[in-house]
Amino acid sequence: MSMQLDVFQALADPTRRRVIEALRDGEQQVGDVVEKAGVHQSGVSRHLRILHESGFVSMRPDGQRRLYALKSEPFREIEEWLGPYRKLWEGRLDRFEAALQTRQGRQDKRSKTK
Amino acid sequence: MSSQASRSEAKVVIERTYRASIEDVWALWTTKEGFESWWGPQGFRADVQELDARAGGALRYDMVADSPEMIAAMKKMGQPASHATRSRFSEIEPRSRLVLTNVIDFLPGVAVYESNIAVDFTSTGDSVRMVITLDAMHSDEFTKMQKGGFTSQLTKLDKRFA
Repeated sequence: MSMQLDVFQALADPTRRRVIEALRDGEQQVGDVVEKAGVHQSGVSRHLRILHESGFVSMRPDGQRRLYALKSEPFREIEEWLGPYRKLWEGRLDRFEAALQTRQGRQDKRSKTK
Repeated sequence: MSSQASRSEAKVVIERTYRASIEDVWALWTTKEGFESWWGPQGFRADVQELDARAGGALRYDMVADSPEMIAAMKKMGQPASHATRSRFSEIEPRSRLVLTNVIDFLPGVAVYESNIAVDFTSTGDSVRMVITLDAMHSDEFTKMQKGGFTSQLTKLDKRFA
């Protein structure tokens, strides 16, 4: 096992989440991220490196510059992870709907027999 | 509440619209009979001991495995077939919004914490829109799934966030 963080460890840090939010606007340089995230340059560089190693962020050189962008894979992984929970609630809300119908059925019957 | 914020940042939002009166929709959340008629989850029934739908009022229920498969599954995991759940209505605005706060007090070695289910109701004509906002990572059911070891990934995550 390498020292690389998995998606949840990577997201556990609030500063890294700010860096990720800043990257939502698309590919950019460290300086842009520093400005948007309101984090010191050395911090941004460190977190970008960690995010790059954990697969959240891609980096490509463009002349003197290095451009960073978000990758979609880890976000898909999070979606999958939340899947069972979402499914639990979908099932629950289907039952909610059925319970509502039962309830309304009873009320209709009552009002008809009146 | 703010002390929970850092633990509860992963939100899941689910929306549904029902053709129904707001009174009926509201009653399914705030009456014993209503709540028991749908809460579940699948394979479980909720036996409500106390439901006091006022701000700060208690909601206590037992989650009871009630399908043969679920009873067998719980047994296999070494879990009891019934689990007492403590919640409270931490916010109530009749027919408009409620927040259910669940107390997570069953994880060995993890300090007791709380997770919220917020529900907003909007009534238009003959339908009601319900928007549910969940603290996904620290919800009652989700944590139970972790505890039960449904997947090893969840167990790992729990340690990390603990």
